[in-house]
Amino acid sequence: MSGPEAAGNGPLIHRRYVFGLLLRLCVNFAGGVGILFVILYFTLSRPLPGDYAEVFHALRNLSPFLRPILAVSVLVYALLACGSTSALCVYILHKVAGPLYRMELVLDQYRSGTPTRTVSFRSGDQIQPLAQAFNLWIGTLRRDRLRWLTTMKDAERHCLQDEATCRAQMEEALRKVAEDMAGYH
Amino acid sequence: MKNRALQPPWSRIRYVTPRFQGPAVLAFAAIIATGGAIFWKLVDSEFQRVFLHAAIRGHYAFDSAYDIIRDLLAWHLAGLFVGVFLTGSVLVLLLVAATRHGIGKAVDSLRASADGDLSTPTGTGPISEFGRFGEKIDATRSDTLASILKIRSEAAALAAGGISPEEFRLRWDELKHRIRRIAP
Repeated sequence: MSGPEAAGNGPLIHRRYVFGLLLRLCVNFAGGVGILFVILYFTLSRPLPGDYAEVFHALRNLSPFLRPILAVSVLVYALLACGSTSALCVYILHKVAGPLYRMELVLDQYRSGTPTRTVSFRSGDQIQPLAQAFNLWIGTLRRDRLRWLTTMKDAERHCLQDEATCRAQMEEALRKVAEDMAGYH
Repeated sequence: MKNRALQPPWSRIRYVTPRFQGPAVLAFAAIIATGGAIFWKLVDSEFQRVFLHAAIRGHYAFDSAYDIIRDLLAWHLAGLFVGVFLTGSVLVLLLVAATRHGIGKAVDSLRASADGDLSTPTGTGPISEFGRFGEKIDATRSDTLASILKIRSEAAALAAGGISPEEFRLRWDELKHRIRRIAP
């Protein structure tokens, strides 16, 4: 259970979340088996008839009815257990599906050129390092963007002097920006 | 009194992503159905044998059919529970491992992007939802890299000189505008 703590800011999926999921599944399956037991108990616990011959015939005749009884009981168990497990899966896994959905929206916004705000997930959501890593990347890009713009603005200040100095400073700034951008590959 | 309007509206949303939650639900359903089928098959044949044996044996020291199969039923139900729960637990652990691997790769990819690597593919692993998510991250990184490379080549072209002052000024302003559009 020692998964990669990829971002170094805590685990992607907390152990408590996994244990909670396992505990809920345990209770869920136990409930399903309990229901199966109750159905079979009430079906098979009817008293057998009094005398020897009647008991013998009752036991011999029980076999043909046993198969459909068992089939229906198992079917009820399977339907109830599947239904409750599905609900449990949707309820538990939305703590992973939700952040993924939100990150996809943020990535779409970013690609469309919409101003991107810092991403934060709901408390209790898993995969928190994903938001932190995205924020780190966007933060780095913004810092670099600010540095490039500052370099260009600094060069523009020389335009108060003569034209040649201004142009030389601007070209120098452009070379610096291009060199700085070479870090991206 | 709490102002409900100020509370985030998405806090109670239960996200349902069929591509992610759907396969997990189907896998659990398959485990339960298989467990049920095995239970039915085993218990059916065992019960037939036990009731026949009890009928022939003749010593009817029981009040109901349940008294005959009580222990057998208890063991089979326990087996069903343990089998389904253990298989379900293995599935949970596999899901967690796949999520850690897939999202871990996406996180690594974003961290590498912060260090300037915008071209190495994310490679998020076996679950298709994570693969799609990784492709989205790669597309975003690729767009950013394309934008930066374009700006870089334009800056290099402008720095090379040989452009009239008017055109230089126009392209300079355009370049600044393009830089402002990085990570808006």
